[in-house]
Amino acid sequence: MPTSACRNLFPAWPAVARRRRDFAAWAITLISVVSFHALEARAEASAERVVSLAPSLTAILVTLGAGDLLVGIDEVSARQQPALAQRVRVVGGLFNPSLEGVVALEPDLVVFVPSAEQRNFQQRLSAVGIATEAFSNLRFEDVLENIERLGRLAGREPAARERIDAIRAVRAQLEASNRAVETPRVVMVLQRDPLFVVGGGSFIDDMIAIAGARNLAAELGDAYPRASIEWLVAAAPEVLIDMDASHEPAPAYWGRWPALGARGRIVHLDPSLVTLPGPHLDRAMQRLAAALHPMAPFERGAPPAGAR
Amino acid sequence: MKHLTAGRLGAVLLASLGVLVVCLAIGLVTGPSGISPGAALDALLHPAESGALADIVWRIRVPRLLLAAGVGASLAVAGVIFQALLRNPLADPFILGVSGGAALGGISVLVLGTWIGVGAGAAPLAAFAGAIGTTLLLYGMAAVRGRVSATQLLLTGVVFNAFASAGIVFLASIAGLADGSRIFLWLIGNLSAARTDMGIVVGVFLVVGLGVALSLARGLNLLALGDEAAAQLGMAVERQKKILLLATSLMVGAAVSVSGLVGFVGLIVPHLLRLVLGPDHRLLVPASALLGAAFLVLCDTLARSLLGGRELPVGAITALVGGPLFLVLLRRNSDRSFTA
Repeated sequence: MPTSACRNLFPAWPAVARRRRDFAAWAITLISVVSFHALEARAEASAERVVSLAPSLTAILVTLGAGDLLVGIDEVSARQQPALAQRVRVVGGLFNPSLEGVVALEPDLVVFVPSAEQRNFQQRLSAVGIATEAFSNLRFEDVLENIERLGRLAGREPAARERIDAIRAVRAQLEASNRAVETPRVVMVLQRDPLFVVGGGSFIDDMIAIAGARNLAAELGDAYPRASIEWLVAAAPEVLIDMDASHEPAPAYWGRWPALGARGRIVHLDPSLVTLPGPHLDRAMQRLAAALHPMAPFERGAPPAGAR
Repeated sequence: MKHLTAGRLGAVLLASLGVLVVCLAIGLVTGPSGISPGAALDALLHPAESGALADIVWRIRVPRLLLAAGVGASLAVAGVIFQALLRNPLADPFILGVSGGAALGGISVLVLGTWIGVGAGAAPLAAFAGAIGTTLLLYGMAAVRGRVSATQLLLTGVVFNAFASAGIVFLASIAGLADGSRIFLWLIGNLSAARTDMGIVVGVFLVVGLGVALSLARGLNLLALGDEAAAQLGMAVERQKKILLLATSLMVGAAVSVSGLVGFVGLIVPHLLRLVLGPDHRLLVPASALLGAAFLVLCDTLARSLLGGRELPVGAITALVGGPLFLVLLRRNSDRSFTA
């Protein structure tokens, strides 16, 4: 241990060393340096007080068994994870998280999905010295990467690897089995009125392709475009997957345009699993495949499609 | 004021009707699905058929054209009446706060509806309730001492609109992602949710409002001169003002409940027609109804066709098309008065 380093750590070192050049001084120095290194190493490996500002990231952390690291979550996460919300602080909505609320939790890591509002929030967090990590979850592969990164940050690499392998296995299985069946033309409705659909270039669009179907709304040229009902009727999808959360039953609503039901199947699907770019894309793909190919025995032991 | 003859009235109304019919025809054969005009007309003549073509023409385009026409006519007539009633060229259908009340009512249900157990489908009804509530408030505030004061009306409207905006901003900030998109579309004006029953409601209030405005058109001409002058000329000023206020507010409330705040129609159509036709309300009211309808039908056709399968809010088109058009006409006719 060079003396200069000791001098940096302990300004009073020369005095101490001069007075008692013995074992005690060395021992103290040694212990503190070792523990400094240990602290540093732990900060690199895993965070201990995490704030998550996106429901998908919260779900991944909980699934990887890192839910106990969370000290704060956003409102949407809280709604999806009621048990967690009992224990941790809720720090505001997706678009208006509370800076003071987050800082007061003294997190060592804040994870979020970049959007105009949250990017600004990230700058303000960095300004007060809180570490942040941004996660994009637009595409299928992005989500897998997020699982891996969060596993690393939370010190749960084996669980993350296991989850990713499970998702990849289901993907491979679906891609292998849907070579045999024809690809139906599908439109996935996120919201009926105003009409929003799943367009091209989103992780749901990726899953549609994996599940063996053609997404007609890919031509609208946006990840989640607002479509016109005339376009939908003219597109004549063979399967219309309705994920709207409203109370009106799907047949009553879509019955206003009889041609839609006459030429294709209308399936209602619970949006909570399929629209979350979270840890269970394997189940999401299986549900989607079951809704798209009701005759094909795709899923083994998977829950039945939420058709209603 | 140019003397109004039966011949001039007939010619103007016939020309306006012609424009409306042409716009409706354009709207009928235009759309994102690219079906041919011939096929669209054929489907129109065979309403009993089924299939995608019949759905598109009879269950998408026709209800929407009728709703656009009804909303456009309501807003334009309301603009004419408010501009005369308030003697203010800046008056539009939304100035008195009826729209703010409707928006607050509708958006409350959009955001809080899931907690009280009603869906987004109840929003138009709640919006109409908001419009009626605001109308009653306006009425109570402005009719002190038995007189309806234009200044009092305007101030009440401006303050209530500010209050409603604050309420909307509050609701929007606690709303989720899906509600946020609905609120945005409501505030900018949007006809994509067109249904036949909505068209009927708008139509009923339009007929009432139009009837009142036409029967009191001579009174509107006098009101433009000022309350005292109108009273001297033998008009039952206060009674007529109250009837006009009530009928117009309900008409605006019905239109806003189904379409949101479609701007510009109620401001520029009356002014354009004043520039072209002069200030006689016996001519202005029916012409505004027909051309307001034509204008919104045309704008909505653009809104649903311009981007292919993607939809634009019609309120953006009315402002983009209406603003420049209005400025051009204003410049060409700068020698003529454009106030009531």
